[in-house]
Amino acid sequence: MRTIRRRTFLLAALLNRYAWSLRAQDVILPNKSGSVRFAAIGDMGTGEPLQYEVARRMLQFHQQFPFTFVLALGDNIYGGKSPAELQKKFEIPYKPLLDAGVQFYAVLGNHDDSNERFYKFFNMNGQQYYSYKKNNVHFFALDSNYLDPKQLMWLEKELAAAGTNDWKICYFHHPLYSSGAFHGSSAELRTVLEPLFLKYGVQVVFAGHEHVYERVKPQKGIYYFTEGASGQLRANNLKKTNLTAVGFDKDHSFLTVEISGDDLFFQAVSRTGMTVDSGTIRRAGAVQAAA
Amino acid sequence: MFLRTTVLLIVLVGVPRASIMAADPPKITPASPDSPGFREFSERLQEYLKLQKSVPRLRTTKKREEIIARRQALAQKIRETRANAKQGDIFTPAASDEFRRVIRSVFQGPKGASVRKTIRQGEPLQDRHLTINGDYPERLPVTTVPPTLLLRLPQLPSEVAYRIVGHDFVLQDIEARVVVDFIPGALP
Repeated sequence: MRTIRRRTFLLAALLNRYAWSLRAQDVILPNKSGSVRFAAIGDMGTGEPLQYEVARRMLQFHQQFPFTFVLALGDNIYGGKSPAELQKKFEIPYKPLLDAGVQFYAVLGNHDDSNERFYKFFNMNGQQYYSYKKNNVHFFALDSNYLDPKQLMWLEKELAAAGTNDWKICYFHHPLYSSGAFHGSSAELRTVLEPLFLKYGVQVVFAGHEHVYERVKPQKGIYYFTEGASGQLRANNLKKTNLTAVGFDKDHSFLTVEISGDDLFFQAVSRTGMTVDSGTIRRAGAVQAAA
Repeated sequence: MFLRTTVLLIVLVGVPRASIMAADPPKITPASPDSPGFREFSERLQEYLKLQKSVPRLRTTKKREEIIARRQALAQKIRETRANAKQGDIFTPAASDEFRRVIRSVFQGPKGASVRKTIRQGEPLQDRHLTINGDYPERLPVTTVPPTLLLRLPQLPSEVAYRIVGHDFVLQDIEARVVVDFIPGALP
């Protein structure tokens, strides 16, 4: 009996290993020379085994698709924030990626301590909101817990200064559009952010908060992704709405993105390595900012 | 649920932005500094910030211990210096009246329903007992402060922030995570 169990265990381990390596071949992104490559994860900081499994899958993906940075979409550290817990919930699971030189650019979620902005691994440089540029892509990292006039004025100034020839990507914790049954769309945040996105030609927005993956149908020409299942999961929590282009609420996931010229390629991957969504967004020409 | 593994090609055509333009961004009109209540609040807050600035600023670090040490040093300094602080020192009665008036008007205004929804979506804290100089517990989530409300209130420097805890409206020192003052029952 013990022998059978042992053989079964070994067979399962072998199959598991085979499945992991097999699925590692499923990188759809084109891996073009000189492209901007990143991943996006949200609501991940639990310190639980499933967060670690997603992190391992990301590492495996990284070997095929060497993304250079990660957008951390908030709820980066749940619960206690002691040094030991930061290790358990961030530094240990992502150590191989950090060691490989992958940088994390975080925003604050409602479960984060605002002092996380001083944590060097999050690259926030002490700021609650900030921007940076990678090749032809401007990133605007916002604090959606606290969209005060100061932040909105800063965002407008930054968006205007970014011009009209590059990609503009915003990310923050609370989704403006969501089919999640638990929270749903953050309609009030939308009333202050969306007009700025439209005025200054933001093309793509990433958020977390809902513990699922969802790509929303373009709203007024803007593409919205929610990736809030990289550590937490609310299984079967997506409602059927006419917002959803593709949703995945069966397992944990992460999102990978590649931008080359006017093309943005994306691939969402589950904890088990299954591609749950993929596609290309093409930016046709420079977008004119409204006067 | 809506699983799809095929590759999609989505073409973002050059839709003229003017044709899909929503309303202009909300006009940002910070609260009137002429309001006696808000003016009093700002003066008291300035006094508080002098104390905050007397502790060295935190710098970016990989060492979480340094962040915690700074937070604790700042919290300790605040507690020592404000040992006799009481509720209403910064949200003075005149300031509280003004804050309550603005909060009430936002909740009863045309965006009242979405303001309430924003608070619900932020996983609001209920039944927490607040104390002046007390810790804002790090394990608890931060309730989103509705931007519609923030547009109507005095702007704050980055060291402090408004928070919502149940029905109470709170002024929090965000680096020290200390409750500086609060208005009980300010939110309906």
